[in-house]
Amino acid sequence: MATVSLHHVAKIFGAFNAVQDLSLEIADCEFLVLLGPSGCGKTTTMRMIAGLEDPTAGDILIDGARVNDRPARDRDLAMVFQNYGLYPHMTVAQNIGYPLKVRGLPRAERETRVKAAAARVELSSLLDRRPAELSGGQRQRVALARAVVRTPRLFLMDEPLSNLDAKLRTSMRAQLKHLQRDLATTTIYVTHDQTEAMTLADRIVVMKDGRIQQSGTPAEIYARPGNIFVAGFVGSPPMNLLAGTVSDGRFSHDAGSMVLAGHSGPVVLGVRPEDVSVVGADEGDLRGRVYSSELLGDSVLLGITVGNDLVNVKVGPEGGRAIGSEIAIRLNPAKLHVFHHDTGLRLAEAGQ
Amino acid sequence: MNQSFNARRAGLLALNIVLGLVILAPFFWMVSVSLKPAAEPFAIPARLWPQDPTLDNYINAFRPEFRTYFVNSVIVSLLTVVITVSLALFAAYAFTRSQFRLLTVAMTLVIVAQMFPASAIIIPIYKLMRSADLLNTYTSLVLAYVTVTLPVAIWMLRGFMANLPLTLEEAAAIDGAGPLRTFIEIIVPLCRPGIVATSVFVLIVTWQEFLFALSFTSTKDMRTLPVGMNDFIGQYGIRYGELMASSVLISLPVIVIFFLLQRQFVAGLTAGAVKG
Repeated sequence: MATVSLHHVAKIFGAFNAVQDLSLEIADCEFLVLLGPSGCGKTTTMRMIAGLEDPTAGDILIDGARVNDRPARDRDLAMVFQNYGLYPHMTVAQNIGYPLKVRGLPRAERETRVKAAAARVELSSLLDRRPAELSGGQRQRVALARAVVRTPRLFLMDEPLSNLDAKLRTSMRAQLKHLQRDLATTTIYVTHDQTEAMTLADRIVVMKDGRIQQSGTPAEIYARPGNIFVAGFVGSPPMNLLAGTVSDGRFSHDAGSMVLAGHSGPVVLGVRPEDVSVVGADEGDLRGRVYSSELLGDSVLLGITVGNDLVNVKVGPEGGRAIGSEIAIRLNPAKLHVFHHDTGLRLAEAGQ
Repeated sequence: MNQSFNARRAGLLALNIVLGLVILAPFFWMVSVSLKPAAEPFAIPARLWPQDPTLDNYINAFRPEFRTYFVNSVIVSLLTVVITVSLALFAAYAFTRSQFRLLTVAMTLVIVAQMFPASAIIIPIYKLMRSADLLNTYTSLVLAYVTVTLPVAIWMLRGFMANLPLTLEEAAAIDGAGPLRTFIEIIVPLCRPGIVATSVFVLIVTWQEFLFALSFTSTKDMRTLPVGMNDFIGQYGIRYGELMASSVLISLPVIVIFFLLQRQFVAGLTAGAVKG
């Protein structure tokens, strides 16, 4: 139960600006995901909130109180580390109970709460093992149980699923989301995996080069990416980005042209793979040639060379095409994203 | 290719056998002489193994004084091990984790100080002990031994601690533990293999030390084992049989301890701490 505010926070390591002028408000009980490629400053931001790094500038407030000078142990939060951070010389039960032991809880109460936390993440049968005897998924759950054994003000999770295999990751993701709803505790979650961000977050903050690129609900970020970087980072497969020129209400590209009102000059046109349709060679907006055709089960992913660009198109399971065939594509005019060619910023839609 | 590989292995094996023989030869000679009757060590031609092995030398070596020396050695060595390793743990942790630049210089100075030969510093230390009225006490020996062994002990433990993942200390901080608590409950237990190795090192150095023990102790009841062996070196001759028998007796505890703890040296304790 806590709110977190970052006011113009910066972190400089030597000559490297890890985080620059970052301001952010996190609401009580919110599940906030910091999303970005490696080196974007998301982990550094989390570590500053945790108290494991000191900000070079700016203020960090938890529940309205400035915590810059408060050591990690006094911030009343729990953290799950990317590499788990389990104590190898302690059993699972001792690992989970350590935060309680440090706080001087009586042994009997500790035992009850350790058992409850272990049951929550289905670890009850492994309490006497040591971390070395556990699988990756089990270690992950021990780390999680250690975080939920008390009721901290804040959960911090640093890529907690990145060391698990794909199948386990999907099921742990669902467990995590469920757990957070159950505990109703403000959670900050760091990941570079956009699927994790989309599925877990109440709100996503996309970061790059130490700066916030965009902040919004997963639906907002997906539907209206604020710049080319966000457009290319969120969504799988990523949004198609085509550079071209607009004049007299038409967008011209090497491979053809189409109607695009309300803009002029060089732009980058973005369109998601599911918002493109494939039509006969003479019927579409842009001509192309099929480069690849992959059946994904419930859909087919087509790769189409359009001029010098490769456009991904998602079509129905019957929509496979022969590689090398000449076709054309049509872009859904209601689902186009237009970005400034130089700044990469999203341009207002026509009529807005 | 396989053949040359086998040839290399054979070569390495031969080299190891030769090195092993070179290292073991003095031990063999020590045991051999200790079993020879008084006249035999100088018999010509020399025999590798005594013709009539006898335990007389051991019976002679195991005098009442030997027990006093043994107790003295145990007291001095154990105190030294406990004090040195405790101090070294704290120092090594500071040297490992502190960002303070001057500490790197200090660390180098620590090892440079270690390079002075004992014979060069023994006279000033003797004078210090005398003015502190500590001569012929356990304290004088323990102080000297801690001084001599501490630098290497710090280096050994520092090398060990540097390999501990930082995440564990961060996890402890998040869990609410202060620096001292983290050190005692997380760092020290994880350093166990390093602590064992360092303790054995300090024990061996202290157990066999001769120069300080000879200089600082003046009465028989304060002598340690290596100095006690001097009893067999007299004005008119050296009683080699008894000398070697006591050498064997003195070496035995260290050899036994070493083999008992050998497995502890394998630093497998951090397995499972972090993914990897």
